[in-house]
Amino acid sequence: MPYKRLIFILLHDSGKFVLSRNFRLQRVGDLNWLIKNYNFSTISYSIDELIVLDVTRQNRSIQSFSNILKAVIDNVFVPVCAGGGIESIDDARVLLNSGADKIVVNSLLYTDDKKIMELSKNFGRQCIVASIDFKLNDNGVYEVFYKNGQLSAGISLSEAIKKAINSGAGEILINSMDRDGTGYGYALEVLDGIDFEMEVPLIISGGAGKAEHLIEGLKNEMIDAVATANLLNFIGNGLPLARKKIIESGVELAHWNSDEFEKLKQLREK
Amino acid sequence: MKSIVIVNYGMGNIYSLSSAIRFLGYEPILSSEERDILEADYLFLPGVGSFYNAMKKIVSIGLDQILKIAVYDKKIPLLGICLGMQLLAQRGTEDGESEGLGFIEGSVERFQQIDKKIKIPHIGFSPTTITKDDKIFEGIDKKADFYYNHSYRVICPEEYVIATAINGEPFVAAIKKDNVYGTQFHPELSQSNGLRLIKNFLKLKDAV
Repeated sequence: MPYKRLIFILLHDSGKFVLSRNFRLQRVGDLNWLIKNYNFSTISYSIDELIVLDVTRQNRSIQSFSNILKAVIDNVFVPVCAGGGIESIDDARVLLNSGADKIVVNSLLYTDDKKIMELSKNFGRQCIVASIDFKLNDNGVYEVFYKNGQLSAGISLSEAIKKAINSGAGEILINSMDRDGTGYGYALEVLDGIDFEMEVPLIISGGAGKAEHLIEGLKNEMIDAVATANLLNFIGNGLPLARKKIIESGVELAHWNSDEFEKLKQLREK
Repeated sequence: MKSIVIVNYGMGNIYSLSSAIRFLGYEPILSSEERDILEADYLFLPGVGSFYNAMKKIVSIGLDQILKIAVYDKKIPLLGICLGMQLLAQRGTEDGESEGLGFIEGSVERFQQIDKKIKIPHIGFSPTTITKDDKIFEGIDKKADFYYNHSYRVICPEEYVIATAINGEPFVAAIKKDNVYGTQFHPELSQSNGLRLIKNFLKLKDAV
């Protein structure tokens, strides 16, 4: 059986990497900043997967995003999911040719779900991650939003999950807009409302502020992976330390020897 | 310099594989040209998508015949990855029955959900047991973690199985028959364990 996964999410907006809090974006730095301040390939030694999302709200260009993607994942040997504004097979292919192993779809689920089936048929179900953003509404329902959280889809979280699976998604990423960027911990309570067995893996995101939150998520039996986009809390030494704490807490994660990367570099043929 | 060709038929996430090979100090060629493939020292067959679509593409550009010459006549080591490994089998069942490259006797079938706890697709790093010593596993622990992302798996005679893993049921994680290798996992996405395996593959002919 696969180990549970620790996933880092990088949010990209118009050439900059951003922090999101309740879907309000704050730019923190560009690619050079990311590379200079944080050796990203080294950080990748501490994660099981990387998600890079383009959350640019104006003049989004899949081409320029794909260039950023290529640069970010240079020397990163973990699976990469990428998405943001994918509307066609061609969009998906641009990202898949730029280093993405899986693609993330979101708004398409509400605007043209047949397209997701088409993507799924083309690239296989295992290649399609459906990302679902939700928040608690005044009626006590977890209501789903799309287009960067701006529009209501008029359906509940459970309905959206079913719709995503029926549309061909091979993995579900749920993200609490209420918890997003707060550091208050995951909205694990929403899982109680999911009263059906999910055949596909479930990733939770939104709210992790410290290692304990990641551990809580990983210990929940419905969850296959925990994700965080909290650039400042987890980057630098944050992720290696969090991974260590997770393992110490008794959750088993995948193993590899990080010293090997240097050794293999030394063995390069001249 | 070794000539390393990633067989490009438009259905592989070749970017990560190329960068892994480059990290190891080699320069891969992406090609579907007969000349490149037949002159290669090592061949990689990647693949993302459905078995049926992949074979349709491969046959439409005559790659199946070229690969057969490369494997049988030229004896070039070939490593199929994920769908690329599945294509090595005789028969696929994804999107309807279709014929594979047939290098290895066997078929490709979907995982069965024998237990509600089993997730399909099987996604993530899974402990993988090396069942047969092989040069390709040199320097890698007998039980090592590799990254998988698939809903289908190869069913083939045990004599070709060199590693197994479990997703509800044991399944074939890696195969070998003469100069043909396949890994259901993605070595290029499996941190240092995977890089080591690719390195070993690219040294297979050194020892001869």
